[in-house]
Amino acid sequence: MYLTLEHLKKTFPARGQDGGVAAVDDVSMQIEQGQFVTLLGPSGCGKTTTLRLIAGFEFPSSGHISLDGKLLDDVPPNRRDMAMVFQSYAIFPHLSVFENIAYGLKIKKLPPLEIRRRVDEVMRLTALSGLENRQPNHISGGQQQRVALARALVVEPKVLLFDEPLSNLDAKLREEMRYEIRDLQRRLGITAIYVTHDQQEALVMSDLIAVMNKGQLIQLGSPEEVYERPQSKFVAEFIGLSDFINVRVESTDAHFATVWVEQTRLMVTAGPAFKAGEMALLFIRPDEIVIGDDARDGNVLTGVISKATYLGDKMDYQVRVGANMELRVQAKGDHPHRVNDTVRLHLPPERARLIASN
Amino acid sequence: MTPADSLLRRYREFRLIARDPVLLGGLLVTSAFMLAFVVWPLARVIWQGFFTLEGQPSLIFFQRYFDAQYGRQYWQIFWWTIEMGVLTAIGSTALGFLFAYTVVRCNIPFKPLVHALTLLPTISPPFAIALATILLFGRSGFITKEILHIEFKAGVNDIYGLDGLVFVQIITFFSVAYLILRSLLERIDPSMEEAALSLGASKWHIFRTVTLPLLTPGIAASFLLMFVESLADLGNPIFIGGNVTVLSTQIWIAVNGEYDQQKGAALSLVLLLPTLTIFILQRYWISRKSYIAVTGKPTGGGAGFVKEPLIRWTFITLTFLVLLLVVALYATIFLGSITKLWGIDYTLDFSHYGAAIDRGLKAILDTTFLSAVATPIAGLAGMVIAFLVVRKRFSGKEVLDFSSNLGGAVPGTILGIGYIVAFIKAPLVVVAAIYVALAYYMVGPTIRGRWRTASVLVAGTLAGAGLNLLALDEKGREPLVVNPVLAALGALPTLSIENWLAALASVLVVLALLSLRFVEVQERKVVAVLLVVMAAYLLSRQFISVLTDPLIPFGRTLGGNIGPKLFASLSAWINLFFQPPFALIGFTYSVISAFVLAKWSARGRLAATVLLLAVNAALTFQGEPLALVGSPYIILAAYAVRSLPASVRAGIAALQQIDPAIEEASTSLGADAQLTFRRITIPLIVPAFVAGMIFSFARHMTSLSAIIFLSSPKWQILTSLILSEVEQGGTSLAAAYSMMLIAIVLAAIGLLYLWAGHAFRSAPAELYVPNP
Repeated sequence: MYLTLEHLKKTFPARGQDGGVAAVDDVSMQIEQGQFVTLLGPSGCGKTTTLRLIAGFEFPSSGHISLDGKLLDDVPPNRRDMAMVFQSYAIFPHLSVFENIAYGLKIKKLPPLEIRRRVDEVMRLTALSGLENRQPNHISGGQQQRVALARALVVEPKVLLFDEPLSNLDAKLREEMRYEIRDLQRRLGITAIYVTHDQQEALVMSDLIAVMNKGQLIQLGSPEEVYERPQSKFVAEFIGLSDFINVRVESTDAHFATVWVEQTRLMVTAGPAFKAGEMALLFIRPDEIVIGDDARDGNVLTGVISKATYLGDKMDYQVRVGANMELRVQAKGDHPHRVNDTVRLHLPPERARLIASN
Repeated sequence: MTPADSLLRRYREFRLIARDPVLLGGLLVTSAFMLAFVVWPLARVIWQGFFTLEGQPSLIFFQRYFDAQYGRQYWQIFWWTIEMGVLTAIGSTALGFLFAYTVVRCNIPFKPLVHALTLLPTISPPFAIALATILLFGRSGFITKEILHIEFKAGVNDIYGLDGLVFVQIITFFSVAYLILRSLLERIDPSMEEAALSLGASKWHIFRTVTLPLLTPGIAASFLLMFVESLADLGNPIFIGGNVTVLSTQIWIAVNGEYDQQKGAALSLVLLLPTLTIFILQRYWISRKSYIAVTGKPTGGGAGFVKEPLIRWTFITLTFLVLLLVVALYATIFLGSITKLWGIDYTLDFSHYGAAIDRGLKAILDTTFLSAVATPIAGLAGMVIAFLVVRKRFSGKEVLDFSSNLGGAVPGTILGIGYIVAFIKAPLVVVAAIYVALAYYMVGPTIRGRWRTASVLVAGTLAGAGLNLLALDEKGREPLVVNPVLAALGALPTLSIENWLAALASVLVVLALLSLRFVEVQERKVVAVLLVVMAAYLLSRQFISVLTDPLIPFGRTLGGNIGPKLFASLSAWINLFFQPPFALIGFTYSVISAFVLAKWSARGRLAATVLLLAVNAALTFQGEPLALVGSPYIILAAYAVRSLPASVRAGIAALQQIDPAIEEASTSLGADAQLTFRRITIPLIVPAFVAGMIFSFARHMTSLSAIIFLSSPKWQILTSLILSEVEQGGTSLAAAYSMMLIAIVLAAIGLLYLWAGHAFRSAPAELYVPNP
C-alpha cells in the first residue's frame, strides 16, 4: 500500500473533559498510488484534522501514518513530500503569481532555468499562462484557486492534499474546477486526498470516498458503493436524499428478505446479516419509488399526497402512508397528482434495501 | 487529566518546539532576556524592600506607615498619589472619549491634522507639557503674569501642586485614551445603532443603551491604564508637584537624594501593588468582557455619523478648543526656547540652542545612539515573542507573554531601582540559570543519553570555570568565583586578561582547523569561518582600541565644540559593539555553538563539545558577570524592556491578521520554520514591525523614569539632563533641549517610513484575513 493510516487518533485538550476531545478516533485507511480519495462528512467530523495529520501540521495522539513504506511519525511537514491546497488558497500576498508557483522549487534549490521550465509547464496546464507577473490581488478568485493548485502541482508531490479547495468559488466555477482538478490528477497520476462536505463533489471526483462522522470512519468505498449500498443510516442520509421506514424482518434468504410495513408485505434487498424477527431500517431513494399508474403489482404501499412541490425537472411529493409515516417521492415527467390524491407507491425489491436500524 | 499526563503533554509540546532548533533558540534567548531584565530586577526590588543593604530583615519602611512620627506624612503622600491617579484617569479618559467620538462620529474637518496633533504628546518628553504649563501659567508665566497680572504670594494656590499636576497629566496622557477609544468606536458596527433606531429608539436612548455599553470595557480599560500611567509618571510630579509629593517622587528622592535603596525598594512595593493589581485586572478581566475586540474590521464611510448639528458642533468646538490649548503649549516650548529670559525679557534670542549644543551635545548624541541601538533589539525580540505566542503551543507561553508586558507596565521608577539593586553586583543565580539552559540547548541535541549529557556538561563547565582561575579580570582584580574543586589551580600563576583571551581565541582557532576535517562537507566552510570570526571577535576586544583611541585626539585637532565631542562619542560607540560584557559573549557563543555542533560529524563531536563548553563557561563567568550598573548595556536593556510590550502587541496584531494557512502552505512546499519565517512571515509583518520600531524609538528617546537611575557621567541621557537644567532654573535651555528631542524623534519617524515604504509592497488586507 502506498499511503497507510493505522489506528490514527487525535485528541485535543478540552476544559472539563477527561483526556480531551477526540477529533479523529481510530481511523485506519489504505490508499493506493494514484488514487483520488475523498474525506467526506459534516463539519466537525474530523476530516480536516485527518488531512492535517497526513500533512504533518498536527501530530497524532496515537497511531501511525506511513508513505511508500516509510513511517512518517517524526517527519516534519516540510519533509513529507506532500503539497496542500488550502480552502483560503493561502497565496503569498507579497509575491507575484510566478514567484508563488516557483516558491517550492526555489526551496529545493533547482537551477533557475529548470524552475522557469516547470513553472511555465504547470501554468500552461492550469491555464494561467500570461499572468506570471500579476500580483495575487489583481487576479480573480478562480485564478487564485488555480495558482494555489499550480503551486502544489509544480513540486510533483507524492501526495496532493486538498482542504475544501472549491468552497469559496461560485457554483458554476466550482463545477468546472471539479473536472479540471480530476483530469489533472489523473493525467499526472498523483495520489490525492480531498476533503469536502459536498457529497456531489465527492461522488464526481473520487476513486474512493471515506465517509466520516464524529471522528470515526463510517464507510470507505467507491462512489457507487457508498451511494448504492450505504451500510448505515448516517451514510445513506448524508449522501443523497433518502426515505427510511422502520420494519420487522419476517424471513430472509440469500439476497432478499420479506418485511411488514403497515399491514403490507414487502420484498426487499438484504444482506445475510439480518435475521427473522429483528427490527431493521428499510432505505430507498425518493426517485427510486414508482408513483401512480406506473406502479406495478406487488411491493406496493398506498398513501395520500400531503404536499406537492414543483422542482422544474421533477415533482417532489410528500406521501402519508398509514397513520404516522411520511415518504418523500420524486417523479419525472407529467405530474398529474395533487394534494389529497390517493396514490400507489411501488418499491422495487432490488432498490429497497435493508440497513441496520441503529 | 492526571499530573503525569499533563507532564507528558508538556514534554511533547516541548519536543515539538525542540524539533526546530531556531525556534527553541529564539524561545531560550527571549526567555533569558526576560528573566534577566524583567523578572529578576523586579524580584530583587521586592526582596530589597524587606532587607537592609547588609541583608538583615527589616520592615522599617512599612512600619513607618503606622508610627506617629512618619505615619501622617507617608499616608498623605499615598492619598495624594491615589487622588492624582483617579483625577487624571477620569479627566484623560473623558478627554480621550471627546476626541475619539468627534473624530469617528462627528465628521470633523481637518481629520488627519487633528489626529496627528493629538498624538503629539506621545512623541515628546514626559515633562514637555509641565514645562510649557509653567511657562504659560507659572509664577512668571506669560498668561498669569503678562496678561492677567496675577501676583503670586507664598502659600497662594498657583499652578504648582496637585491641581496643576493633574492638569498636566491629563494633557500628557489623553492621547493614549483617545487611541484606545477611537479604535473601539471604529469597530462598533453602525448597523447595530441603526437597528436600534429602526426599532424606534431615540438617539440619546441608543447612545445610553447600545453605544455606551459596548464602549464600557474600553472606557474601563482606558481608565485603568491612565491611572497606572499617572502613578508611574515621574517627570511631571518633579516639575510641577510643588509641595505635593507623590509616591514616584518619594521613591526618586529616597534613591537619588537620601541614597537609601531599601527605602526606595519598600516604597516601590507600595507603588507596585496597585499598578500590578490593575495590570492583572486589565489582562484577565476587562479583556474578557470586551464584546468588540473579537469581531469585525473597522467600518469606513459616512455611516453612523452624528447628524444633529447642535451635538456635532458642540463636540467639534470642544475638541478644537482643547487642541488649541495643546498647540499653544507646544508653541510655548518653542517660543520659550528662542526667548532671552522668559518672564522678564521676551526678546528673540537663539543662543539657547547654541548653549544646548555646547553643554548637552554628548547627551543628545548618546541618547540618540542608545535609543537607536535598542530599537531593533526591542523590535526583534517583540516579533519573536509575538510569533511564539500567536503561532506555537507550549507551556509557559502565558508566562512569556505576561512578563514581556510586565516590563513596560510597571512604573519605570521601580524598574530603574530594580536594575540598580539587581546589577550592582554580579547576579550569579541568573547568570548560572541562563548558562545551564543555553549549555543544555547546545549539548542536548548532539550528545545522546542522559548521563553522557550530564557528564559532558559538568566536564566542560568545570574546565571553563578552571580557566577563569587563571586570569585577572579586566580591572586587574582576582577572579570572583573561586571554584573549590579547582582551588589547587589557584596557586598557578595568573594571566592578564589579554593573554587569557588570546588563549581562548586559540582554542577556537584550533576548533576551526579541526572543523575542516570533522564537519559535514557542505557545511565545512560556514562552520570554520564562524569559529574564526568568534576567535577574532574575542581578540578585537583589545585591538579595537587601536582604532578607536586615536579618534579622540583626532577630534580635538578639529577644534570647536562639536568635533571633539562627536569623535569622543564615536569612539565610545564603536567600543560598545566590541567590548560587551563577557557574559553576553558567553551566551551568544553558546547559541552559535549549538549551531556549530549540530553540523559536526559524530567523530570528534565529544571533544568539540567539551572545548566549546569550556570556552563559553569561561567567558560567561569571567570577572563579575552582568554587573552592569554604570555601563551603557544596562541602559540598552532598560530601553528595550520598556518598549517591548509595544513591539509584542504590534507583532501579535499583525500575525493574527495573517491566515495561518499562508505559513502552512510554505511549510507544505518544503520550507522549514526559519525559511517560512524569513520568506513569508517577515515580509508580511514588516509594516507592523516598522510601526513597533517607531513607537519604540520614540519611547526610548522620551523615557525618563527608569533611565534617570541608570544614566552616568559617561553615558548621559537627555531627559535627565533636561530635568536637571530645570532644577537649576534654565527653563529656556530645557525648552531648547525639548525641541531638539522632538525634532530627532520626528526625523526618525520620517526615516523609518521612507525605509519601510521601500521595503514593503502593499497587499490588500483581505488576503491576510482567514476565512471564517
